[in-house]
Amino acid sequence: MNALRRHRALSRIWASDPGLRGWFTTVNHTDLGRMFLAVAVFFFVVGGILAMLIRAQLASPRSAFLGPDHYNQVLTMHGTIMMFLFAIPLFEGLAVYLLPKMLGTRDLAFPRLTAYGFWCYVFGGAMMVFSLLAGVAPDSGWFMYPPLSSTIGAPGINPDFWLIGITFVEISAISAAVEITVTVLRYRAPGMSLSKMPIFAWYALVTAVMILTGFPPLILGSILLELERAFGMPFFQVAAGGDALLWQHLFWLFGHPEVYIIFLPAAGAISTILPVMARTTLMGYGWIVAAAVSLGVLSFGLWVHHMFTTGIPHMGLAFFSAASTLVAVPTAVQIFAWIGTLSKGRPSLHLPMLWLLAFFATFVIGGLTGVMVAIVPFDWQAHDTYFIVAHLHYVLIGGFVFPMLAALYYWMPHFTGRKTYFKLGNTAFWLVFFGFHGTFLLLHWAGLLGMRRRIDTYEAGQGWEAINLIASISGFVMAIGFALVLIDVVINAVVAIRGSRDPWKAGTLEWAMPTPSAPYNFASLPHVTSRDPLYDDPELPVRLARGEGYLGDPGRARRETISVEIASGAPRYITVFPGNTALPMLMSAITGLFFLGMLLKTYWLVPISASGVIACALYWVWSLGGTTREGPLPVGRGPDLLTAAETADPPGWWGSIFLLLANGTFFGSLLFGYVFLWTIAPNWPPPNFAEPGLGIGLTALAGAALTALGTRWRPGAALLFAAPGLVALAVTGVMTLMLVPDPTAHAYDATLWVLIGYGLLHQPWHS
Amino acid sequence: MITVLRLSLPLAIWLASFSGVYGLHGLMCSSRWAGPPIGLSERGLLIGAAILAIAVQSLCLVVLRAPKWRDPDPAMRRIGLALAAIALVAAIWTLLPPTVLASCM
Repeated sequence: MNALRRHRALSRIWASDPGLRGWFTTVNHTDLGRMFLAVAVFFFVVGGILAMLIRAQLASPRSAFLGPDHYNQVLTMHGTIMMFLFAIPLFEGLAVYLLPKMLGTRDLAFPRLTAYGFWCYVFGGAMMVFSLLAGVAPDSGWFMYPPLSSTIGAPGINPDFWLIGITFVEISAISAAVEITVTVLRYRAPGMSLSKMPIFAWYALVTAVMILTGFPPLILGSILLELERAFGMPFFQVAAGGDALLWQHLFWLFGHPEVYIIFLPAAGAISTILPVMARTTLMGYGWIVAAAVSLGVLSFGLWVHHMFTTGIPHMGLAFFSAASTLVAVPTAVQIFAWIGTLSKGRPSLHLPMLWLLAFFATFVIGGLTGVMVAIVPFDWQAHDTYFIVAHLHYVLIGGFVFPMLAALYYWMPHFTGRKTYFKLGNTAFWLVFFGFHGTFLLLHWAGLLGMRRRIDTYEAGQGWEAINLIASISGFVMAIGFALVLIDVVINAVVAIRGSRDPWKAGTLEWAMPTPSAPYNFASLPHVTSRDPLYDDPELPVRLARGEGYLGDPGRARRETISVEIASGAPRYITVFPGNTALPMLMSAITGLFFLGMLLKTYWLVPISASGVIACALYWVWSLGGTTREGPLPVGRGPDLLTAAETADPPGWWGSIFLLLANGTFFGSLLFGYVFLWTIAPNWPPPNFAEPGLGIGLTALAGAALTALGTRWRPGAALLFAAPGLVALAVTGVMTLMLVPDPTAHAYDATLWVLIGYGLLHQPWHS
Repeated sequence: MITVLRLSLPLAIWLASFSGVYGLHGLMCSSRWAGPPIGLSERGLLIGAAILAIAVQSLCLVVLRAPKWRDPDPAMRRIGLALAAIALVAAIWTLLPPTVLASCM
């Protein structure tokens, strides 16, 4: 079979449906990656417009451009959109698009899950934008601290949009994280051991695991706060045994790792692009991997530095201050490795390189002010001032947006297959760079002069007027720069001339295919022997197109790729991917109804839509097929391989493991909340509470043991044990419900209800 | 999978010891927020827990260097050892406060 016939055959197998239908039924990672990126950019534009409204309001003292109510909504939605609807999804989009191509495989581990995550993101994001257009957007700040966000501070529906909408969007993040983790560990080109992985894949892996462990505390917090708002369960009300600080703990348990969840993918892009721009290889690959993994873990020990002024004990201050300064070390290791790479290469000042230099100049300042606020006495002075606003924008725009713009210009030829022709991007770069520093550098001073963050206006005569006016003008300059970037990208994508396959002379596998890429990525899968396969073998793309790699014969007419051993990258089995389907979109729409039912308090819709989601999930699993035993099949090179369905650890098994990791973190956060309230709240447990007796505990234990035994034995014996086991568990549930008092009376009772609910929710799945 | 465990073990131990020692401090102080400092015996327990955590962390580094346990891939072995060293430094640095501070305030 020649290359053209192979291309046609593979395109027939892998292509998305034609026309408009294809938008809703595609499960292809290239299409979904592009869609993720496009929607994330849309939300960036929305968030940017909100930022301009904020700067317009603050340009002069006592401005009446926005009233306080609208200002609060605009400010809250700016932060919410940029953090949840732009930054994380942009990483997801980039990873969804790039990872299979970089790793030398044909798709992500669970194509339909990618589509489900994407549609959850779209519907959840639409819910948030609708709230803005309807004038009922969240207005308690992007961190939603109670009591500002509880029914006392915000009786309207506004915070519910945040709590429910963000939880909906987080399904997308968790889905993408499971997807990315399993893909990086199991779906690589044969021969690509962990130590030969592209550096971006390491960063994506660390980020994905961080999402799996960082997002559950926020999901839990959102559920608890919504339970408090909707049903009066007083988790965060001091008078009823709760504590508003519990929310801050749960939020920042997510919130600080979130900063690194945003920074690490950008660092992955930098580590990929910088050596290519410097025409050399990356210095200190091993140290960079170690630094990325360290950052991923250490970042979970810093959350309290956002709460230094809440009156936590001195020991806590010392603990978290120490951890906060420590995290600068792995960050610095990466910075020095990148500087070393630059110094050993011959850097060329292409546009991606300009953005990387802007990153260095900006992020280092943000990092240093970060070390300043990690020191408790300084933080006490600067907390809740514009110094912090300036610091976080230096970190987030310098550490994420600038590297992502470098990534945009670097991979643009890959997305479009065209070379960058028009030079608007250079003008845009300087406008954004000077606009950014003009806006935020001066705001450090405004903060040190005492300007508090989140204020909707201020009085004249405090020395803030000139700073704010310059910041606002610079902000608009930056906005014009971003608009020019968008225009530049659109023009280059539509009218620029066709470019060569590997315009930057890079060594990673995403450039070993024609651009824009075919839906199957590689006509045959490569065998990898180094980190930069294209440097070792420039003819590799041609050989792959000729079908000289793995799975070069499309004769079985189905979507196939190879899964590998985690460490060595040795071929393990063939995975057969499902075809195009609207099921993920349908399921996410029904999931949306579930959340809408809760938002609008139409609770009859909740069980109906939950049943719909379960029905879709069952159909999803049932339609996967793969029950036929085919035996070992030829893959074109090396030994024959079984299909995934015939092995003991198919991809679904791995996906379940990582989903359980997220679930375990959720439960751990719940226990943390219980222990926190126990140590902090007075009257814990309340004096009128009847402690559950030993009888209930023993009945529960016996029930769980019998049920577990029953599920492991043959059908007759299973019934003998499982039936009484389930009865015992039901009795336990009823007895507990009779004992536990009104959940609205005290946070202790409310917490017990949630713990019991968690247990009951998991019991049927276990059985 | 063993390689992934080797990579994640050192910092997982740090995370556990960090949570454990800080949690122990919280439990000890739970009855005396804004009250008198932690007693000598309780402080001894905290210091003991910190020393134990550092000892486990050091053991992890030693084990990952042992021929029987180290990764066959030299690059992964170096990364694993770097992570173990970072985790040990992190443990010493972050567990220092319980050994010098006794206040619950």
